[in-house]
Amino acid sequence: MLPLYVPLIATAFLAAFGFLIASRRALAVSGGDARKLAALPRQYGLNTTLSVIIPTSVVLIVGMIFSSLSGVLPFIVLGVAIFGFSYSIVRITPEFRARRYAEAWIKLVLIAASAVAILTTLGIVLSMLFETRHFFAQYDWKAFFFSTEWSPNFRGNSALGIIPLLWGTFYISLIALTFAVPIGLFAAIYLSEYATRRMRSIAKPAIEILAGIPTIVYGLFALITVGPFLRDHFAQPMGFGDSASSVMTAGIVMGVMLIPFVSSLSDDIINAVPQALRDGSLGLGATKSETIRQVVIPAALPGIVGAILLAASRAIGETMIVVLGAGAAARMSLNPFEAMTTVTVKIVSQLTGDTDFASPETLVAFALGLTLFVITLGLNVLALYIVRKYREQYE
Amino acid sequence: MKDTHMQNPKISAKNVQVYYGDNHAIKDVNVEIADKTVTAFIGPSGCGKSTFLRCLNRMNDTIDICRVTGEIKIDDEDIYDAKVDPVQLRAKVGMVFQKPNPFPKSIYDNVAYGPKIHGLARNKAELDEIVEQSLRKAALWNEAKDRLDSPGTGLSGGQQQRLCIARAIATSPEVLLMDEPCSALDPIATAQVEELIDELRQSFSVVIVTHSMQQAARVSQKTAFFHLGNLVEYDDTDKIFTNPEDPRTESYISGRIG
Amino acid sequence: MTQKSLLTVDARTKKRNAAEKRFKAYGFAAISVAMLALVTLLTSVIGTGASAFKQTYATVTMQLPEDVLDKSGVRDIDVMKKVTTVGYTKILNQGLTDTVAALNIPHDLSNKDIGGMLSKEAAATIRDHVLANPELIGQEVTLDLLMNGRIDGYFKGRVTMESAALDSNTSPAELALAQALADAGVVNTKFNWAFLTNPDASDQRPEAAGLGVAILGSLYMMIIVLAISLPIGVAASIYLEEFAPKNRWTDLIEVNISNLAAVPSIVYGILGLAIFINFLEFKQSSPLVGGLVLSLMTLPRIIIPARAALKSVPPSIRDAALGVGASKMQSVFHHVLPLAAPGILTGVIIGLGQALGETAPLLLIGMVAFVREYPAAYTPDAGLFGEASTALPVQIYNWTQRADPGFVERASGAIITLLIFLLIMNAVAIFLRRKFERRW
Repeated sequence: MLPLYVPLIATAFLAAFGFLIASRRALAVSGGDARKLAALPRQYGLNTTLSVIIPTSVVLIVGMIFSSLSGVLPFIVLGVAIFGFSYSIVRITPEFRARRYAEAWIKLVLIAASAVAILTTLGIVLSMLFETRHFFAQYDWKAFFFSTEWSPNFRGNSALGIIPLLWGTFYISLIALTFAVPIGLFAAIYLSEYATRRMRSIAKPAIEILAGIPTIVYGLFALITVGPFLRDHFAQPMGFGDSASSVMTAGIVMGVMLIPFVSSLSDDIINAVPQALRDGSLGLGATKSETIRQVVIPAALPGIVGAILLAASRAIGETMIVVLGAGAAARMSLNPFEAMTTVTVKIVSQLTGDTDFASPETLVAFALGLTLFVITLGLNVLALYIVRKYREQYE
Repeated sequence: MKDTHMQNPKISAKNVQVYYGDNHAIKDVNVEIADKTVTAFIGPSGCGKSTFLRCLNRMNDTIDICRVTGEIKIDDEDIYDAKVDPVQLRAKVGMVFQKPNPFPKSIYDNVAYGPKIHGLARNKAELDEIVEQSLRKAALWNEAKDRLDSPGTGLSGGQQQRLCIARAIATSPEVLLMDEPCSALDPIATAQVEELIDELRQSFSVVIVTHSMQQAARVSQKTAFFHLGNLVEYDDTDKIFTNPEDPRTESYISGRIG
Repeated sequence: MTQKSLLTVDARTKKRNAAEKRFKAYGFAAISVAMLALVTLLTSVIGTGASAFKQTYATVTMQLPEDVLDKSGVRDIDVMKKVTTVGYTKILNQGLTDTVAALNIPHDLSNKDIGGMLSKEAAATIRDHVLANPELIGQEVTLDLLMNGRIDGYFKGRVTMESAALDSNTSPAELALAQALADAGVVNTKFNWAFLTNPDASDQRPEAAGLGVAILGSLYMMIIVLAISLPIGVAASIYLEEFAPKNRWTDLIEVNISNLAAVPSIVYGILGLAIFINFLEFKQSSPLVGGLVLSLMTLPRIIIPARAALKSVPPSIRDAALGVGASKMQSVFHHVLPLAAPGILTGVIIGLGQALGETAPLLLIGMVAFVREYPAAYTPDAGLFGEASTALPVQIYNWTQRADPGFVERASGAIITLLIFLLIMNAVAIFLRRKFERRW
């Protein structure tokens, strides 16, 4: 049996020395005069190196995925390496346009890199579909999508309805957007239309810092500061509840997180409105705020709608803030000071719990994930479509 | 330059300087513009004619690095006085821009925008009346009356510019500033707009910046020639184009400069 | 129209100007809210976490009796190892009690109580020290030992006499004694490097918990993310920007990338679980899987700014190269890429920063476990980056789930550490951008 590292070393050897051998041979074949060659000697060398490395890499990756080939793999790799080496050396003649072939190899690598994006999407969709199928084999899909009860039970007989989770998700996102959209939009308007250079040089970096803070930090902030604050000063005095984890806590913190997101999107959109429209309005004697309210914003409206949809998508998919700020109780209530949970929280809890992987209590996480993916994908595609149409209008 | 004072000029400018940062763009301009007349500003590109035009409705205020000194009076009131709000000024002095810039709203809303923000109509009926009158004066009523709710951006180039003119005159200004209004239009649309300008001067004082001497000769009664930020010569249009006094004016109209 | 003087501002204009002022005020208010939120967030976190960088130690002098610690008498390590931390605890208790007695501090606590003021970790510390230096047996030794979480909390203001009266883990008498010892110079609160180097500690020992394992795990993962997503991301963006024909397939790839950039990060965690752990059977909780998942997530976030950087290079550069007979690929690699490099690099650093702070996907691939050993970069058993580890953001999450309030301080301190790393990375990115940015 051949251990894998043997052909790997052979490949490296052939690739490295192949370069030297090929470029020497190219010179030799031209009788010592490189000008007679159709390409530079080093390009012949590069062609040989790539002819060895790229096919063997492909074979290796395929072999790693299909582990059934593992016995035979080292031999295949070795064979491919030797073949690639020999074939490229044999073709070395003064007329052989080595540069073209070398560049063709490189282009192949570039295309493969781009294909990783499609592979990733495929991977996401397939992996979730696959396990979701297993889930629906054990649990009625109608109950999943339409039941309003969520109470998993490791002994079996769980109620796994998504509706309470969707309720929490949308309620929290609604609060977050209600907070973030006006503030983000007005901040963008102020910064681009009214702010002095000095103000801009302070406020813009500040907003960028908010954008760069990881969500776990926001989560902790919700847990130790915002939650208790809201409970002590609003929920308890007003009799709304006594939980530090609540929809309000998570919603407000998520709103703060979304402010820079909305602000920078709005900024791009407002700047895309041509100055000529503003001049036209100012020339008629409108004030700046009238111009913004009655000309700029209506002109930018599709873009703003797109930004809101993207922000909603971000809010719906957010995990750490709700894990730490909203609680785990699957409840459908109108009281925002109560703890409610979301789809993302349950994905985490069902996949990091102790239940057996093949049980519906664990597999439901994939169904939840697929639902989440579809919702956010829908919002993103819609937003992209709207913003694209809007950009066309001005270009 | 003849130094006769007009009786009751509509606009009078004295010692006007304009600075863009350190660049002295307009140097010591003195001019009097008459009412119910079309006055043309001509000159090679970059000579400052558009810059000076924009001083007349204080549009230069929107540019941070621009500084205006001197005195510009409209109806004997200094428009750069601290008590003057540019917003009110611009209801009185309308502007049409080089490239037609209708709002992405309906034709009706485009024209109604000015009157609405200035509160010129007490009810919908009055507003409808103002819109119709403006569109008529801009020679666009017949083409637009059946599609008042359609977007203004859906019109052809020439129609859009006439819409912009209708929009500008809807606030019943007394002065109309036009910054190369035909340079983005085809010859037929240009001819329509020029015909319109001739009618407009019966109601307004029109100041038009143009890079076409032929256009200036066609539409204006008075012409001012600008060169490198200076007002070189200002006189009746006929005189400027047949017998200019300043050699720079002569060079320009005979095509040797600009 | 009636002739109105321009010099008087009419009523309607006054109202409109007032509306203008209000509108401007709303904008300013919005900015203020955002900045206030930032300030509140940072002060809250830093306020809670700064104290994690100080730790309370006691300087204890102990006797190391041979008859207890080395039954063999010949410093045989295997025999010495049989003495567990329980045996050493007695020695600690005695040492500290003797110190207290020597200082004549009045108290009515038992030896056990006094010894209990030290961290449970202290016994392990002295044991490790003795096993490493067996020649010390029979002598006296002085060491700085960690004090327990409640005493530490007292010196940091978290624990008060009132709360101690209600606390089963400490008592006002212990706090008083600790204060007396501090006054005598035996107990000190000093800067805590161990916070950054120690591994995690169990639930009862927040005072001993450190970020050592987490930082190492995050480091490994960043290496993997850099090694994978930088080349693939740059290669993909070069293809899409310079070579791809404008057809349906290219459009599909571009839409895909925009979508992947906006997919919630938890979905990448699900992908990692389903494919890397279940299907490919990589090791759960390893930096390898974490790094792979984060790489996939970071890839679109690198491609998008890299494309923008490539796009910003003017076409005239490409034309000039082609004009002297370079091939398309040569013009890209020899001319366009070097000019776009600063922008690409900035995008990579920012992408890495986002990956460093991601938590959700790592939770799903099992990194939430309690890991006490520093993971090695390579072992024959587990493979490359295969040993179980945790990561900085996951460690933070982990600590928030623990009951002892001492862990809140630890979690906030870890956040400060994370934010400092991010600050450094962003500062480097901004520096590079300023230094190499060209304005075309």
